[in-house]
Amino acid sequence: MTLSAAERERYSRHLLLPEIGAAGQERLKAARVLVVGAGGLGSPASLYLAAAGVGTLGIVDHDRVDLSNLQRQLLFDTTSVGAGKAVSAQARLQALNNEINVVAHAVELRAANALELLGGYDCIVDGSDRLDTRYLVNDACVLLGRPLVSAAIHRFEGQAMTYLPGQGPCYRCLFPESAAGVAPNCAEAGVLGVLPGMMGALQATEAIKLLLNIGAPLVGRLMTYDALAMEWHEFRFRRREDCAVCGVAPTITTLADSAASCAADVPARWPRVNAGELRQLLGAAGSGPQAAPTIVDVREVHEFQAGHLDGSVNIPLGDLSRRVGELPTQAPVVFVCRSGRRSQTACELSARAGVQRVADLEGGLLAWAATVDSSIKVA
Amino acid sequence: MNTVRVPSPLRDYTAGVGKINAKGTTVSEILTDIERKHQGMRFRMIDEQDRIRPHIRIFINQREVQSLGEAVAPRDEIHLICALSGG
Repeated sequence: MTLSAAERERYSRHLLLPEIGAAGQERLKAARVLVVGAGGLGSPASLYLAAAGVGTLGIVDHDRVDLSNLQRQLLFDTTSVGAGKAVSAQARLQALNNEINVVAHAVELRAANALELLGGYDCIVDGSDRLDTRYLVNDACVLLGRPLVSAAIHRFEGQAMTYLPGQGPCYRCLFPESAAGVAPNCAEAGVLGVLPGMMGALQATEAIKLLLNIGAPLVGRLMTYDALAMEWHEFRFRRREDCAVCGVAPTITTLADSAASCAADVPARWPRVNAGELRQLLGAAGSGPQAAPTIVDVREVHEFQAGHLDGSVNIPLGDLSRRVGELPTQAPVVFVCRSGRRSQTACELSARAGVQRVADLEGGLLAWAATVDSSIKVA
Repeated sequence: MNTVRVPSPLRDYTAGVGKINAKGTTVSEILTDIERKHQGMRFRMIDEQDRIRPHIRIFINQREVQSLGEAVAPRDEIHLICALSGG
């Protein structure tokens, strides 16, 4: 795949590097990279990959641009709000580099489509915002034999690693099982806007190195970044022989959606009350003999401290199985969280531990703030 | 006394502090001392069977801890790593 005169000028700084040169640039032009998630990580990663001249760049994201995305997702601007992310990203990247082919996949990555989607690319960059998707992408890459550059962020902290088929451990070797439902994502925990810029740029660097077969990739190495301390650390980890997907006797041989990843589009498993009903429950209890439900807020401590329902007690979801004995087993308990995701997990955990009358607040405190009391501060 | 690096998702237990001190000659003793100072934190990392939870890794300097009985030298730095989900 030869370079045109325009491409030679565009990539002239790459052509000067002996590690890249014309042959390397032609390799980038022939390469196909898929970026999973056009979010905080996917934005800088895809912008740099497009600018670098990766010939075919796929973007998979089924979400729409929200105003709160613009603090860190540099693919988008104010005029993008409300537009589909994949198509909006495609337009931005194509405008940045009209020499490449940008493909928009405006679909949700699921077990049913992951192998076909990822199988069409040489290298996968994971910038997804959910642990379940991280495991799905990892497992698909192992099954397909595709390299994976993975990164994740939380508040001021980032981490990154690279998987090369047959040459090192996978993401599941590092973290064998998902903590989905317990670990808050960016929407729930907050994130420094600049942070994904650092980590996404690192992912683009790794992908380019893999495509060019230069340098030392982050294989078997976890890189962590603490923006507050301004420190990078590197940790060595090995392939697990008992890894469920890349070990010697894998138990994951086909892809499956996790229960949690399905939670968004199937009916809630546990009884729910909406914000108006919860207000009535609390109000009725105050004026009559009916016992008020115990309101348990399962968000993290800092979220609770920012604002919470009067009379609610804070038991972070990660502490719940240890502290479930504090809950009444016969009287009603209503779990609340930010959006209604963690509270469903809390219902499951406490019901298994013998708490009989569990329910949660549908839509979480965001729904309470929208329909009952806008003065509550939801972190 | 050893330095322990606390991952962002567990800093609610340390009042937001990312670097704490703990004493012990094994990983288990270090975790016990952490629990004494920051109640509830150990349970977020270690399950009822004393196994490291699957979304948590513990490193002594750069080396991954396989068992809570592993020895910790006086100047070793302990890194607690938690799987992050954000993107």
